[in-house]
Amino acid sequence: MEITPEDAAKALQEIKLSQAAMRSAIRSHRGHLFLWLWGAIWCAMATLNWIDPFRFATANNLLTAAGVLASFAIGIIQGRQINSRVDRRFVGVVAAVLLFGYGVIPLVTHSFQASYAEGYAVSMLTWMLVYVIGGIWFDTYWLWVGITVTALILAGYLIWPALFWGFMLLAGLMLVGTGFYVRHFWR
Amino acid sequence: MEALDATIHQPARLQIMSALTQLDQDERVDFTFLKDRLALTDGNLGAHLTTLEGRGYIAVDKQFVGRRPKTYVKATAAGRHAFASHVAALNAILSPK
Repeated sequence: MEITPEDAAKALQEIKLSQAAMRSAIRSHRGHLFLWLWGAIWCAMATLNWIDPFRFATANNLLTAAGVLASFAIGIIQGRQINSRVDRRFVGVVAAVLLFGYGVIPLVTHSFQASYAEGYAVSMLTWMLVYVIGGIWFDTYWLWVGITVTALILAGYLIWPALFWGFMLLAGLMLVGTGFYVRHFWR
Repeated sequence: MEALDATIHQPARLQIMSALTQLDQDERVDFTFLKDRLALTDGNLGAHLTTLEGRGYIAVDKQFVGRRPKTYVKATAAGRHAFASHVAALNAILSPK
């Protein structure tokens, strides 16, 4: 098969356009909706807890439940468009981390009974461990999200406890910002 | 030197392969979603997918989600290799060594 340089240039241009269109579509399936959703929920929870964690305990639970339901809905809708085989080994690792973070370790440390902030920190650190493992496992941005939010949680909890909820607000804003980055610039 | 692939070079198939090779290795895309992205008709996309599948460049997976049939498409390793070779051949025409 022989073609002219003009035809080759035209074909390469077509390839670039198709790739750019598909990349944009793929980027819309790389988790930005989850980051926006949970970033907004973190911001709301941090603000409410900053005011009074015990007064807004029910609101916190409702926000979490709404987030979980919305996450399932997004996952189902987007999974029908672009999906891949479920990595059962990774699902097993996540289950083990959550079991230890919420079940086994608190039996020894009693972290969910100490204070609301401590329980919250342990809970979020457990999820950030999932992010870090997922980031390494799939070579994705989850890794630096996990590391950065972990640093914010530790800084707020250990160094500036009076500003703990402010740091959680910052973590929520960081998730929202990462969502914009993923939607527009991620590979 | 890489050779041009006549199967891939057809404009619609070039579009399809360009799009599918952007997905990760294990990822697959829904037929309707792909059709909308590429602005092709059902029949047109279906016919080209059959040609590409016949060459082993893509894998087509048909399944039911609830009661609705869904068709998923992904580029195979052979398809990715053939597409990369085709792009290399196009580049070679523009800047021969």
